[in-house]
Amino acid sequence: MNTTSSFKTTARRRGTALLFGTTSALMFGSAVAAQDTLVVGRSMDVNSLDPSRAFCDTCQIYLTAVYEPLITLGADNKTLEPKLAASWEHNENFTEFTFNLNPEAVFSDGSPVEASDVVWTFERLRNLKGSPSFLMDGTQSIEAVDAHTVKVTVDAPNSEFLNKVSAPYTGILNTEAAMAGGALADETAATADGAEGWFLENSVGSGPFVLVNYAPEDELRLSRNDSYYGTAPAFAEVVITQMQDSVIQAQALETGSVDIAMQIDADTAKSLDTPDVVTEIIPSFNFVYFAFMPGSTAMKDKLTPQVREALTYAVDYDGMIEFTVGGNGNKIAAPIPNGFPGTQNLEPRAQDVEKAKSMLAEAGMDSGLEMVAVYPNDNVYGVDLNVMMQKLQQDFAQVGVEVTLKPVTYPVWREEMAAGTADLTAVYYAPDYYGSGQYAAYFGMTEGSTWVSRAGYQSPETVLNEKEGEIYAQALAASGEEAAAKYEELGRELMADNVIIPLVSPNLVLAHRADIDGVRYSACCNLPLAEISRK
Amino acid sequence: MSAVETLRPASPSRARRAWTFVRRLPLTGQIGILILLFWAVTLLTVQFWPLVDPLMMAGRRLQPPSADHWLGTDALGRDVLSRTLHGSTYTIPVALMVVVSAVVIGSALGAAAGYLGGWTDAVIMRAADVTLSFPPILLAMTVAATLGPGLPNAGLAMVIVWWPIYARLMRAQVLEVRTREHVEAAIAGGAGRGRVLVVHILPLCWTPTLINATMDFGQVALLAASLSFIGLGAVPPSPEWGSMISEGAAKFYSWWIAFGPGMAILSVVLATAFLGDGLRDVLDRRGPK
Repeated sequence: MNTTSSFKTTARRRGTALLFGTTSALMFGSAVAAQDTLVVGRSMDVNSLDPSRAFCDTCQIYLTAVYEPLITLGADNKTLEPKLAASWEHNENFTEFTFNLNPEAVFSDGSPVEASDVVWTFERLRNLKGSPSFLMDGTQSIEAVDAHTVKVTVDAPNSEFLNKVSAPYTGILNTEAAMAGGALADETAATADGAEGWFLENSVGSGPFVLVNYAPEDELRLSRNDSYYGTAPAFAEVVITQMQDSVIQAQALETGSVDIAMQIDADTAKSLDTPDVVTEIIPSFNFVYFAFMPGSTAMKDKLTPQVREALTYAVDYDGMIEFTVGGNGNKIAAPIPNGFPGTQNLEPRAQDVEKAKSMLAEAGMDSGLEMVAVYPNDNVYGVDLNVMMQKLQQDFAQVGVEVTLKPVTYPVWREEMAAGTADLTAVYYAPDYYGSGQYAAYFGMTEGSTWVSRAGYQSPETVLNEKEGEIYAQALAASGEEAAAKYEELGRELMADNVIIPLVSPNLVLAHRADIDGVRYSACCNLPLAEISRK
Repeated sequence: MSAVETLRPASPSRARRAWTFVRRLPLTGQIGILILLFWAVTLLTVQFWPLVDPLMMAGRRLQPPSADHWLGTDALGRDVLSRTLHGSTYTIPVALMVVVSAVVIGSALGAAAGYLGGWTDAVIMRAADVTLSFPPILLAMTVAATLGPGLPNAGLAMVIVWWPIYARLMRAQVLEVRTREHVEAAIAGGAGRGRVLVVHILPLCWTPTLINATMDFGQVALLAASLSFIGLGAVPPSPEWGSMISEGAAKFYSWWIAFGPGMAILSVVLATAFLGDGLRDVLDRRGPK
């Protein structure tokens, strides 16, 4: 889920304690296993339930439960495993991909999953021009070779294409059912498709669950797909219930009114000391970063590469992890999650206040530099951006740079990003699939990338680094170790840009009731519900 | 207390008159004055107190109250006591300015409406009705969200919410006093409209406004803190009480973060309610005792 479309809460909303009682009625300790309900407490950030439009962490969970992509990511968060495609091949230079569908696969209405459904779904994803449409970027043709074989051709080598089709947003839709709901896949889809509302009430996938009901700000209810062709899930019903903040989730978990919560911050997790609750603290693939905006109206000719580099030495990276997540996180070098291809040998930045001061003095910026930081007033992945930015404000003050903080709601933040009024910002990023390419496309200082237009604003030349585009293309043409080496090279370039400065990769607190089994965190799919059972 | 003093018979000295007045207040009113005095002194002198910098790290983060940090430290290791006391320089002046502005604007409009009547009355009072029909917090949120976060904007939002209350109060008073005999006598004696309003009517209209303003002060402080709590008031790292409580709510198990500012708001709201009640007992003989 990237920042441009995540639909995080606006002003910090509190007072959701009322939600407590509403879920307790769902829990019956003695319920027969076959009729059992799994309850997940979550602050839902759902922007849509249409697979081709949705783009959020909760969407990943929902789509994984209800739809199935061709390929999925294994439990090691690296290996690709078959899902709807029983097998696949590609040509040597990664431009042609052939998928052989599992002939047993059926949709929830019993009709078989066929190649035409894959073609239709991919075309719709591409033509809708929604947030996840970038997954289909570069697809030249998508054709059904026969009823169970699909061939995709891309216009340039893309060794990450297979990873992209493991993203839950590429889950295959039942064409007929979706069209009956008003969905379109042709070129007019972006404007003429009117199925978004319909998808809030209906699901047309081949996954282990089907949608029962979605009530925004309240609950998302799924039930077992009785026509599922694979292993039936252990729970008859899954309810994701809205719980705004960490403390409420922790308390609901303690009282047993929810089974799983994964948005509890590390400080609050310490208070969970009942044997009924199991907490696992694991590294996540999410990270929080700040970014310089050298192209902003006020920063022209001030935030030069040298000044930016100097300022990166002013930041107390260890302290940042202590202050934002109580030490429960990791440093991160380039804006590519630790553990993704090419990150192994990257050395995270370190603080050196003296160096920062002398470099600033050399650049004639040792006093009088004032910046305005505009950032979303959000608490994400356990990091309160307000706390993080206050820490950054203190670090910058040490080298004589004055930062004024301006926390705003998420929609206002997006407007400000397009207006060139912010000199500094901070935000977060979570992966959509396992692969480093998405980071090159988003954070790379290449013509037309999201961050060139934000950081460079009307003077993109202040940040452009065309070398990154070339390295990215080379990485996509290679695979395995060779590709990883290219991503490493790219990571070094991204670090040398000194525009996107990752601060913390917060650990994830995966907390669940002791009788719950099979809970795991997935890089593509967040929380695979079908694997969970009650002991 | 100058507005109050004008209503009392002349006596030897200002200080003595004030003291006499305080002694006539019930005990709760006197306690209210004490608390408000404490905050007034704090807000004027806190920068000279031997406290650690409220904006900088003073110790380890999230430490419970101890001899070094009487109210503990917050998520950034800042001293909560120092922040709470410095917080008075944000919330109280804002509340004061909001109440004074609302009283001045509201009273002026209310007096005009009550005295002039006709379409002036209709326009002003309908505007007041429309404003009053919104829940205060909702309207203030809308204004603050539109203008962007920051205490000045939050203050402006609250003035917009609060003026109609005083407009109504003042209008009702003016309508009542206008028909009294001394006013009619003044008009018969050839006094101009402006003079009649300012000299013969207004001096008799201030009591309910004063009592209300005192009681509202606490409510305004609370609304200012509420706006900061939801991120529309003070901007970090200001140690504003509402935003401190918001930080405390996020770190719920570190109860001490919200305790200091919570008690501070409580004391201000209680003190003004006590004092307002006391003032009503002494000044407004019509109200229920």
